[in-house]
Amino acid sequence: MANPDLMKHKNIIDVVKYRPLWLLISAILLIPCIIAIGYLMMTQPNHAPVKLGIDYTGGTILQYSTPDEVSIDDIENIRKNLVKEGFQTPIAQLIQNNSIQADNTKDAPKNIISVKTSFLGDTKGAEIEKVTNIVGSVVKDSALVQTNSIGPSLGFELLKNSLAALCLAFLGIVVYISFRFQSDYAFITLLTLAHDALFVIGFFAIMGIFFDWYIDSLFITAVLTVIGFSVHDTIVVFDRIRENNRFLAKKYTSDEIINASVNQTLARSINTSLTTLITLLALYFFGGATTKEFVLAMILGIIVGTYSSIFFASVLLAWDKEHAKA
Amino acid sequence: MKNKIILFWIIVAITIASIAVIHFKPASLGLDLVGGARLVLEAVPSSDVKKITPDVMDSLQYAIENRINALGVGETVVQKVGDKRLMVEIPNITDTKKAKEFLGETAQLEFKEPGKTIDGYQEWLPTGLTGKDLKKASASTSATGEWIVSLEFNAEGAKKFADLTRRLVGKPMAIFFNGKLQSAPRINEEIVGGRAQISGGADGGFEYSEVKNMVDLLNAGALPVGANIIEENSVGPSLGADSIQKSKFAGLIGISLVMLFMIFYYRVPGVIASIALCVYSVIVFAIFKIIPVTLTLAGIAGFILSIGMAVDANILIFERTKEELKTGRSLFTAINSGFDRAFTSIFDSNMSTIITCLILYLLGTGTVKGFALTLAIGVLVSMFSAITVTKNLMHLVFGTGELKHPALFGLKESDINKSYTAVETRKEKAKFGVLN
Repeated sequence: MANPDLMKHKNIIDVVKYRPLWLLISAILLIPCIIAIGYLMMTQPNHAPVKLGIDYTGGTILQYSTPDEVSIDDIENIRKNLVKEGFQTPIAQLIQNNSIQADNTKDAPKNIISVKTSFLGDTKGAEIEKVTNIVGSVVKDSALVQTNSIGPSLGFELLKNSLAALCLAFLGIVVYISFRFQSDYAFITLLTLAHDALFVIGFFAIMGIFFDWYIDSLFITAVLTVIGFSVHDTIVVFDRIRENNRFLAKKYTSDEIINASVNQTLARSINTSLTTLITLLALYFFGGATTKEFVLAMILGIIVGTYSSIFFASVLLAWDKEHAKA
Repeated sequence: MKNKIILFWIIVAITIASIAVIHFKPASLGLDLVGGARLVLEAVPSSDVKKITPDVMDSLQYAIENRINALGVGETVVQKVGDKRLMVEIPNITDTKKAKEFLGETAQLEFKEPGKTIDGYQEWLPTGLTGKDLKKASASTSATGEWIVSLEFNAEGAKKFADLTRRLVGKPMAIFFNGKLQSAPRINEEIVGGRAQISGGADGGFEYSEVKNMVDLLNAGALPVGANIIEENSVGPSLGADSIQKSKFAGLIGISLVMLFMIFYYRVPGVIASIALCVYSVIVFAIFKIIPVTLTLAGIAGFILSIGMAVDANILIFERTKEELKTGRSLFTAINSGFDRAFTSIFDSNMSTIITCLILYLLGTGTVKGFALTLAIGVLVSMFSAITVTKNLMHLVFGTGELKHPALFGLKESDINKSYTAVETRKEKAKFGVLN
């Protein structure tokens, strides 16, 4: 294949030389995540690393839309009335406030109030009606627009399935890479994946602690997409290293090859992430309220994934090659 | 070159066919976009039915279907999920109270005879006569003008009823509906002819709605076992319409900005990538309609993400082609080798995405499945569009000559022949079309 003259190409960044710096950045990103995960695992009764939403614990979320202004007092009153009526630990939130209308639909919901309670699964639907009446007594012109209700046993089942999906996806990717590349590449890819997954999970843990974010089944999707994207990036870099190695291994040191390969793929890595970020930012600012958290997690995950494939993976590979020689 | 022109027209034909499919085939939109309710029911074993067998599920599904149809709300779906669950989808409703009242009732009608009296409480014993022996139920009024449920037994039921009433002359007979005593009239004489009625004796008369409900339930058939609602999702039509509008808007803005970026950065190839992106979107949507993929909010997110990956293939190829041009190759060979060298990266990275999608699809629930499916279709089509559409257009636009205007690729005159020297095997030279 190609035999680019490495010395003619000017490197923009030296990944190998500033190795401690890149690892330090990774550490700065990941340490708060690890602390948040550890904190939640110790303080939560179910020892989950993130706050589990109703998809996993069971519960009911009701959303009401209203064209009227909703104040913080209204939300607090709804919560108080719910407690008075015997609902246990209800949460009321304003999840969409004065939404910009994408078109002229008159009845498009402007403000959305979300009420979360334990699972209201009575077959008559009377309890849900009770909540609707409470919300209606505080915010007059409100209508139930969305119901999500999951029984506790189903929630636990979903949790098991999601964790299985996550582990299997990890395994599948690693098996594929060790089949296409060498096993040390696969191992480093696995570490890079762990780096990115840890970041996304940690991000949700931090948001859970400070902003009461609960994860739903889209969370696993966000983690897996970020992982998929990061593998994408890592493979492109590794593919280049593999290609350069084939012809230049005798002429240059592995450090030089890794540096050159990262720089050769740099424009692509950044451009690809940019275009994906553009589409995600469009979704974040103009898309619906329900997928906002999911999209934000992916935006940050993709930035970190790009970082890890350029800096984390190649630094580990350089380190691995040096030790292999020694 | 002749092959390239034929391929070009094939691509045009596929695009036109896709547009036709999109135009003529209605989209299948998920409940979160059109509005509607989805309930998941789980069968609960009872003392009569200790194990949930496929037969039990069949009759449960049949009874639930009958009930849902009695609601008269259009295209409903009742589907088995796993071995003890049913998924019920009802479009265009948000308030599921009525539907749930209907689904939750087991509608067990039982006729019972008096047993011993323990501490003042009357014990009631089963007689074997149940709702299964009914031919039909209807609403009517009694002589005193109260709403009652008129029952008509089938042949076997009529015989059982006659036997029972003969045995109970002078005693009360209790009618239970869903385990609740409705009335316990005193039997004065044997009743032949297989007709009976339920009046709301116990609570001082029925409302019309109560009678109507019981009649509908009795006619739809009793549930063989009880069914609990374990999941409920409903979305109002206005929220759904809002989500569609927002997703469309976000998608269009996203695609437009990506195209602008590509054209700004890669110039003429960027324009080609933008055309390929349009072809890509059209083909993906046509496939969504052919399969058909039910589009949900998460599914749309998957599609928008796949746009990012489709562009990635183009970026990889253009970066590689630029490198090849920098070595001073002719356009034809630079494009060929650029594609060839980018291909391993594209293939490996897309395969890993497809593996992820496959696992998500097999293990995920509804939302996650939709996301995985649209992303996987998107990634597969993106390989086709990058390798066929982009490459073909590149060849047709740039032809075989030398690169006379590097600016077309966003390169500077001074870049050419500076960065690399290319060395390759004879086999590769033949493949890329390098002429010595």
